[in-house]
Amino acid sequence: MRKLCRGNEQRAFIGKLTRRSRSPRLTGTVFSLSKHLSRRQTRDAMEVSATYLLQLLMNGLMLGLIYALIAVGLALIFGVLEVINFAHGELLMLGGYAMALTLPLVGLSYWPSLLVAVIVTSLVGVVLYEVFLRHIGQKEFERSILTTLGISMILLYGMQYLFTATPMMVDTAYGFDGVQIGSIRITLTRLIAGALSVAAFTGLYCLLRFTQFGRAMRAIAQNREAALMVGIKPRHVARNAVALAAALCGLAGAALAPIQLLHPAMGQAMIFKAFALVVIGGLGNMTGAVVVAIALGMIESWIGGFFSIVWQEGAIFVIMIVAVLLRPDGLFKRGSMRVG
Amino acid sequence: MTEPRWTPYAVLVAIALLAALPLMTGSNYIVGIAISGLIFLTAAAALNLVYGYAGQLSFAQLGFWGVGGYCAAIAVVDLGQSFWFGIAFAGVVNLLLSVVIGIVITRTTRHAFVVVTLTFALLAGLIARDWVGVTRGPLGIPGLPPPSLMGFAFDTGARFYYIALVFALIALAFLYSLKTSRIGLILKAIKQNDPLVESQGIAPGPYKLAAFVIASVITGMAGGIYAFNLKVIDPSFLDFYYMQTFLIIVIIGGAGSFWAVVLAGAAMVVLPEALRFSNELRMVIYGVVLVAVMMFMPRGVAGWLEDRRIAALRKALR
Repeated sequence: MRKLCRGNEQRAFIGKLTRRSRSPRLTGTVFSLSKHLSRRQTRDAMEVSATYLLQLLMNGLMLGLIYALIAVGLALIFGVLEVINFAHGELLMLGGYAMALTLPLVGLSYWPSLLVAVIVTSLVGVVLYEVFLRHIGQKEFERSILTTLGISMILLYGMQYLFTATPMMVDTAYGFDGVQIGSIRITLTRLIAGALSVAAFTGLYCLLRFTQFGRAMRAIAQNREAALMVGIKPRHVARNAVALAAALCGLAGAALAPIQLLHPAMGQAMIFKAFALVVIGGLGNMTGAVVVAIALGMIESWIGGFFSIVWQEGAIFVIMIVAVLLRPDGLFKRGSMRVG
Repeated sequence: MTEPRWTPYAVLVAIALLAALPLMTGSNYIVGIAISGLIFLTAAAALNLVYGYAGQLSFAQLGFWGVGGYCAAIAVVDLGQSFWFGIAFAGVVNLLLSVVIGIVITRTTRHAFVVVTLTFALLAGLIARDWVGVTRGPLGIPGLPPPSLMGFAFDTGARFYYIALVFALIALAFLYSLKTSRIGLILKAIKQNDPLVESQGIAPGPYKLAAFVIASVITGMAGGIYAFNLKVIDPSFLDFYYMQTFLIIVIIGGAGSFWAVVLAGAAMVVLPEALRFSNELRMVIYGVVLVAVMMFMPRGVAGWLEDRRIAALRKALR
């Protein structure tokens, strides 16, 4: 019925056009015709692309969840130690490589190598804290940045020396299998990555909210002196925070490894976005980091679906500059480390 | 730190030696290293103004370096202007750009400052790669012509060396006079205690902005000259490697001390050449040096020496 109506409309329009085209204002009609047609075409394209939009939304959601895993670790370290960890991206890369190197050993089975990656990166996190970050005081902000920058250089170029800069393809037992939900297709590895992130957030929330371990972390982030007064050991808490953040990052890297190409500089590409996310969300605010990460993953995916790749990469930076201009402290209040 | 009384003589001797360098050696290799050294040194001294004096760790210098390089190259190749116009053009574009960015970011906290400047540098790299219409994308702009002045072409390494030398001397002299001026003192005070400066009736904002802008202009012009030294510019000109080099020079010398940074610059130019065997290993060594300096002498060699001097004084007084 609708189709018929539109057909009539169209016919009427063409009739009008042929009548008007005899008039001397030819250019005007041609213009209006082309405008009309292009509008019709885009309307049709929009109708067809409802699934395309949903597909982009799903991809963006998965991407956003991975970003959120990285950003939340950064926010956690910042909340507890007041350190911006430049080596965070390299932890992600180490997680990916741990996954890639373990997979052949365990017969391409996904879950054991994931576990290995998480354990390896959290151990690296502990070493990172005990050897370097422990010696950096609260007020030495620049020193912490430059130290972690140096560590990041050592890890990045060290891995590049060992494994070369050639990208690696990582294959799991799941391969490129996909699931069909309605008319949207999504690969299994992506789906697992998304589910893992959600599980990790739930776990992290419960950990920070209900355990002594998490309460101590929040206490330190809120008021260091008062936390000391009630007998919380900042050194233990900070070590736990770094290890936890590193484990989240390792999880993100391991989940990412089968989805995209693995190369030593992959961490750098991701971490700069994660910095931007954390700044937009408000430094040290974990909820803010998660919300902004998921939102930006989706925005990025949509932009990438409709515009050229330049805009996809640039969008996050432009959004950040605008956000900082309007709210220098981030969109969410930096009220220490808020959980819920 | 007070300067020794023989500093002016040492500077004169150094300038004389530098001026005679191409005459002493016929090796293009050594002259090439000296050119990079002078340009990196100037960029590092500019970074020292922002980080060492104003106390703002700016990664945006990499972006200005790249913008300067591209501006100079585009002015010569696309607009058909001379090299000298290109360098001036690079300076002016960087001036405008850094004022706009500086107004935004000098308002933020120092944590956000680091991240925003970093993102600016990365954004510049992305634009260089993706804005194919202007920058030619990943292909870059090859074959930059050698500069010439009144019919005299600076077409050999030894001749180009003098452009780098004169630029470095002018920039360093300017930075030095800035450092010893009232502005330099105020910047130092801002780094040490911001509220105290405000209580003296001085608004820190404009001073921070001025330091940022001056450093950006110098870095941009240095980038322009370096692009013509390479004779080609492509997105790798915005590689993070350059920023790391500038930073390491400032850090090792000791942020906030003029001569130490200059000396560290000279040393750090020789080191990468001695470590030429593998690019990756060289960067690993850079990283190790950076971490070691941060761990054991966080204020650089200059800070370490000063601590030693103060310790000796205390001992003598006791």
